[in-house]
Amino acid sequence: MEIVRVPEVHEFSPEDQKFLEASKAWFKIGFVPKMGRVLRVVPEFGRPYSRASRRAMSDGALSRAQKELIAAVVSAINVCEY
Amino acid sequence: MAGVTHALNAVADGLRLPPEFSPSSRTPLIPVMELGGEAPPEVRRVFEEMMAFYALDRPPAVFRWLARDPGFCQDYWAATREAFTERKLDRRTKEILALAASLTAKSDYGVDFHLREVRRLGLSEQGLTEAVEVVQCFNTVTKIADALQLQPDFDPRPGG
Repeated sequence: MEIVRVPEVHEFSPEDQKFLEASKAWFKIGFVPKMGRVLRVVPEFGRPYSRASRRAMSDGALSRAQKELIAAVVSAINVCEY
Repeated sequence: MAGVTHALNAVADGLRLPPEFSPSSRTPLIPVMELGGEAPPEVRRVFEEMMAFYALDRPPAVFRWLARDPGFCQDYWAATREAFTERKLDRRTKEILALAASLTAKSDYGVDFHLREVRRLGLSEQGLTEAVEVVQCFNTVTKIADALQLQPDFDPRPGG
């Protein structure tokens, strides 16, 4: 059971709503993931963190697919269900 | 691949086996086999195979430990070699994933070993930077998710 209430997209500022809505295209999904919303609860943390994360996950010397595999391995080693 | 990496790291760090490539004051808690006359022929064959696989002049210490039980060592090496053999994923990508697993588990032995492997297999410094950035980001969000007990909202099998 989640120990915090995860806000809905409409509860965020217009700037944050815009970013959160864009995450649907980034992940090719029809909803805004909880993690994105949780990170934006404190925008002064969430905004720069999200920029850093998006930069880290973009195609570069490694492909995004390779980076998603790395993310999956980190999640597995940390036994993170989410 | 992540499973055998994690397990080999656990044994190597747990028994305080020295990293293969970095200076270390670690002393193994239990002696490991040296590559010499003490190894039976079937173990020497396995040692030679892994030295070729990793381009090393001696087998990794963790496998010299496993060689105390030749049958187990042979089979565990065969499984490890298979896990790291190029199939749909190339070997360098698999080593990048092993490095990510080692960093996440804070394995001195594993980070040392797989850092050398990714470089030997041609990963650029930019590629290495990007891999570590992803490790950093996902160690951040997995801890946040666990602390808040976030329930998954992704379908892990999109499209069935």
